[in-house]
Amino acid sequence: MNGDELLALGDHALTALAHGEAEVIIADSRSELTRFAGNEIHQSVAERSRHIRVRLIDGGRIGVGEVRGHGDGAVALAFAAAEESRRVTTESDVSPLPSAAQGGADEPVAFAAATDAATPRDRADLVSVITDAAARNDVNAYGALSTTTTTTAIVTSSGLRRSATSTQASLVAVARGADGGGYASRHSADIAALDVPGLASEVVDTCRRNQGATPVDPGDYEVILSPYAVTDLLEHLAWGGFSALAVQEHRSFMRMGEHLMSDAVTIRDDARAAEIFPFPFDDEGVSTRPVTLIDHGVCAAVVYDTPTALHDGVTSTGHSLPQPNTWGPLPRHLAMDAGVTPSGEMVASVSRGLYITRFWYVRDVHPLRTVITGMTREGTFLIERGEITRPVKDLRFTQSIVDALADVLQVSRERRLELGEGESGVLSPWLHIGRFSFTS
Amino acid sequence: MRQLSERALDAASAAGASYADCRVINRTVQRITVKNGVVASVELSEDEGIGIRVIAGGAWGFAGVDDLGTAAVEEAARHAVRIARASARVNRTPVRLAPAPALVGEFRTPVVRDPFGVSLDDKVNLLMRTDEAMSALPQIRVRECSLEFVREIRHFANSEGSVLDQTIIESGGGLDATATSDDEVQTRSFPNSFGRHQICSGWEGVEAFDLPGNAGRIAEEAVALLTAAPCPEGRMTVILDATQAALQVHESCGHPTELDRVLGHEAAYAGTSFLTPDLLGTFRYGSEQVTMTADSTRAPGLGTFGWDDEGVAAQRSVLIDQGIFTGYLSSRETAAAIGQLSNGCMRADGWSRLPIIRMTNINLEPGTSSLEEMIATTEHGVYLETNRSWSIDDRRLNFQFGTQNGWEIVDGRRTRLVRNPIYSGQTPEFWGSCDAVAGPAEWRMFGVVNCGKGQPSQLMHVGHGAAPCRFRNVRVEPAR
Repeated sequence: MNGDELLALGDHALTALAHGEAEVIIADSRSELTRFAGNEIHQSVAERSRHIRVRLIDGGRIGVGEVRGHGDGAVALAFAAAEESRRVTTESDVSPLPSAAQGGADEPVAFAAATDAATPRDRADLVSVITDAAARNDVNAYGALSTTTTTTAIVTSSGLRRSATSTQASLVAVARGADGGGYASRHSADIAALDVPGLASEVVDTCRRNQGATPVDPGDYEVILSPYAVTDLLEHLAWGGFSALAVQEHRSFMRMGEHLMSDAVTIRDDARAAEIFPFPFDDEGVSTRPVTLIDHGVCAAVVYDTPTALHDGVTSTGHSLPQPNTWGPLPRHLAMDAGVTPSGEMVASVSRGLYITRFWYVRDVHPLRTVITGMTREGTFLIERGEITRPVKDLRFTQSIVDALADVLQVSRERRLELGEGESGVLSPWLHIGRFSFTS
Repeated sequence: MRQLSERALDAASAAGASYADCRVINRTVQRITVKNGVVASVELSEDEGIGIRVIAGGAWGFAGVDDLGTAAVEEAARHAVRIARASARVNRTPVRLAPAPALVGEFRTPVVRDPFGVSLDDKVNLLMRTDEAMSALPQIRVRECSLEFVREIRHFANSEGSVLDQTIIESGGGLDATATSDDEVQTRSFPNSFGRHQICSGWEGVEAFDLPGNAGRIAEEAVALLTAAPCPEGRMTVILDATQAALQVHESCGHPTELDRVLGHEAAYAGTSFLTPDLLGTFRYGSEQVTMTADSTRAPGLGTFGWDDEGVAAQRSVLIDQGIFTGYLSSRETAAAIGQLSNGCMRADGWSRLPIIRMTNINLEPGTSSLEEMIATTEHGVYLETNRSWSIDDRRLNFQFGTQNGWEIVDGRRTRLVRNPIYSGQTPEFWGSCDAVAGPAEWRMFGVVNCGKGQPSQLMHVGHGAAPCRFRNVRVEPAR
């Protein structure tokens, strides 16, 4: 079904509402993914589903019912589950449903007809561009190419009606030789816009340069972080600190107005930015506003949903996850502003340091201090006298993100879109950081 | 369901599949959360659909759909074959499966009291009593507790004649108390971190956790951690509680023994493994105290079932035998690659996901010591409880874990609470330094409900039996 049809289905569902308020979210999703290993396709899958979520509010109580499958009876089943749920919840200060006025235009949205129409054969052909390049260079390629189309509709008894159809194409690849590997990725709403030859060239080149790595001692190093690595830093800041709920619960590093990071660091959330899978509204149907989170190093703002906005006496910024929830709002279109330095010239300014292609298995160690740990992976190189001289064995880092971003020396003028571990798009530059701590 | 699966298999065969299997799954979930004295959410969800897996032209294809009408199911089967044929254009090596017998049967998780027969009011009441028990201390900024119940009805059939029906019941619950001060945040959890402890059992499993009876103690520990001394630093003896030992097993034995990782199937995402086939049967993974098993027959672990998701019977395999690496977690395809039979570890996150190799119940078998004895025979070290942070490299060698709290041990006695402990090491050296594992009386089965793997991402519920265990000469430090 298209957006209008899902809206009509939601409107019809609301006719079953006898009393109180209701929100109906319907999402039709079609997603396919082709996975490759050792220069062959070893898994290729397709999935089609409709997810219905009903939230009922009545007498200060909220109930939620969710259904996938169950055909024509799905909406009724979701309503019945929500009503059963609502009956047992305690009466509390329930946040009201957003008003129709908090809606708006259902644009811009990331959509490309080519992605929507992509076939298993199309994906196999693109994968073969990478596997062929790898085979020509005597290495093996591994990775996945996915295409997804999702139509989401939100209808509420308060008069809010939103719908949007979005697409996403994502390609990640690892190339492995006898003694080392490389990584590259590309993501776009439009599968036709993926630079697959460029990815193949990048991943094979990194792999070939990363053979026979030798160890370096752990310790503090000057680093150049590629956008793949910077994405992990930004995503962990978002999870731990850019939410109004985290601030309200005293769990966030954010201290409004304080200058915690380098002047070169400006971090935004912008769901309207063309490069970051634009999407017009959040999971309450509220229009998502651009928010400058860190402004030239200063803690500037956090994102809100309706409950946290009510708490602080402000309006929602449109960053809600499905309500009710205990996690709070989340920025899902992060970007760090570009700088002026060409990425290709950043290594030249490092007398001795490390170039990091990507991080792996990054986890919070102390969220309030933004201390995280993780490993480097698939492309860690020693920089000596302004040049990359050799690959080095992967290292574990344990580092405060805020401290690292307080020591940013250069920001590249180029940026690249990467998917974080939470699968949201993050637009990141290369960063030159004065000191980064590697522990083993 | 039988009729539906026959339609799917017939359609796949008619489209040219040389092998096909399908899983019709209906999953019901109840999730109840109480936060700061309010029922924050009661979510009831229903999910059903079919996943069809085929081999055509020597390659795999898979399609899942939530429409169980005949036309939709048959089209999904044909689409799976189209996908396989598209993949076959790129591939040179046809898929080969290890043989497995055709099986027919039924399995149901044994429960004393079906959790879906317990009223929502009783469940909410349990959580409200738990919340109340945490509410006395003003330093506790966030109180959160939850229950989750899962019922999954699975019907499996394949083109080789297997027809298997299973009903799996899970019950879980837990609590978190978060204390804050101007410069510190500390969370304590019970019975485990990351939201809850979950097992394959009925309501009786959750009652046995005794959430209300432990809530006050846990809240007090969270507050005490705000002003506790930093964890001591240096190389010292570490004793892990059973929950942290379970996670250590998960990360450093469960994942590296997954044979798909070893063969490179996960190289672009989850990673590979240091446990390569040339090491099988000879490599010293740990000390003689260390025996680890994969046991999908061991109730009440979350990896307990009758058959895996490609129809191989539940079984027990020894992965580490008195320190020696002896076995993998495998599937029919990966087992064939090393000349073995599958030991039944193919599992999928619902009908919409392709089965891949997952942990079942990966257990550290009990030893002969006890926590009391281990502490009494430790000159200086730390006793670490409940995971807070976990990270390990893509080959599963270099790890760093943090726990919610620690107790310093001096001259055989537990002395003072210490905060923000982390410890790190290399997997074989770490398990090689294990000199004691507690016995059956302190051995417990724990559940991990957030094990991520695969593309598209799949979250699996897996079990780990473990007991407190001791390690010598481990690097320990406080998180700074």
